[in-house]
Amino acid sequence: MSPRAMLCASMVMAIAGAVLVSCATAQAPMSAADAIEKRKALMKEQGAAWKNVQDKTKAGDIKAVVPDAEKLAMTAKQIPALFPDGSLDPEKSAAKPEIWQKKGEFDAAAKNLETWAVKLKDTAATGNAEQTQAVVKDFGRQACGTCHQPFRVPPKQ
Amino acid sequence: MWSGVLGAALATCLLLAAAIPVWAQGTPASAAEVARGKYIFGATGGCGCHTVPKGPINAGGRRYDGPFGTVFATNITPDRQTGIGTWTDEQIITAIRLGRRPNGERLLPVHPFTVFNGMAEEDLKAVVAFLRTTPPVNRANQPKKITMPLFESVFLPTWLAAFAPKESPPPKAPTAGVARGEYLVRAVGHCGECHSPRTMTMATDNSRFLAGNPKGPEDQAMPNITPDPDTGIGKWSVEEIADYLGTGNKPDGDVAGGLMAEVIDGTLSGYKDLTQADRVAIAQYLKSIPPIRNKIGK
Repeated sequence: MSPRAMLCASMVMAIAGAVLVSCATAQAPMSAADAIEKRKALMKEQGAAWKNVQDKTKAGDIKAVVPDAEKLAMTAKQIPALFPDGSLDPEKSAAKPEIWQKKGEFDAAAKNLETWAVKLKDTAATGNAEQTQAVVKDFGRQACGTCHQPFRVPPKQ
Repeated sequence: MWSGVLGAALATCLLLAAAIPVWAQGTPASAAEVARGKYIFGATGGCGCHTVPKGPINAGGRRYDGPFGTVFATNITPDRQTGIGTWTDEQIITAIRLGRRPNGERLLPVHPFTVFNGMAEEDLKAVVAFLRTTPPVNRANQPKKITMPLFESVFLPTWLAAFAPKESPPPKAPTAGVARGEYLVRAVGHCGECHSPRTMTMATDNSRFLAGNPKGPEDQAMPNITPDPDTGIGKWSVEEIADYLGTGNKPDGDVAGGLMAEVIDGTLSGYKDLTQADRVAIAQYLKSIPPIRNKIGK
């Protein structure tokens, strides 16, 4: 095969590869029902992780908090994508319309959760009980509450 | 020489004139009294009704709609033009617990003066001392818009006399135990204003004290916080209630939202700043009241 033919063949393969990769990674837009279901599941997962953090901190099992804090940080990244346009449904979801009216603030609130979760993970990793308790004391209000307060209809109970 | 004497006399007069507002306010408060006032201010939830969320603290302007019309919270900063900077201590205390302005005008009970009447004199004085230390904000009050005919002249006085439950002040603020918790819940924290259902006259229904209100302030559903195990917080331990008041963290991994999150956070101070002993006292009191079955929400 001539060098020119080899170049052409490799270009064709590269383009075909790129097309295949993009086809594999491209996702159909998430339906509203799907998004609501997924974000509810994610919030439940986060609630469970946050409860673990509190229980472990109270029990003095400080380093065991790390995986739960990691989970909170990882899931925080997923929040913005789970609130696509058109997924406001007051019947099925506590999400307020402000999420879409102030998308920048909402995304920043999700980022704030991630930042706090990383701080919690790093503090817990040192094993320092006092410092970890101090982060845990503020976490609910500063990491979760700052998003729930403006963007979630308060729970009834 | 005479000019010197006149000058000194004039200077003395000017100094005295400048001192009059201080006289009107009584002797300057001690740091301990101001600190106590800040603590009690926090135990009310930080008087957050007087602050627009993210707005200047205590500067008023927050809107409240009722069947009578609309009112806007007033500026309670020490600003002399638009706030309460020229009011005497007694005038401020009268407004807090009796609902009267210095000119005799009645406040609407959106400000829960019938409940704050249950606050001890020493705590009210301390709150006033603290309010005087807060940053003044020049923000003119917005006039109320009353749409119900004869509301202030006929309906309100009748309602206050016939229907509104009124707390009575203790000779001294209880300092510990369930009595302390009761004082903080019933009077200072004014928990019943949100958490108790309302009667047909819109008065708080104290026969179902703290049993929840499906349509509370700002249209938020307020949970039943009696010790009923199924519809209230009977399954929460004293420690969990005390933790919640200090952190907003619920036993199930959720966090406080809505107005409850606001009062826990407070403004210049809030429930989160209460001592562990006071939070436990509140929890013990809440566990001691009659459980009432009343499901709020789904």
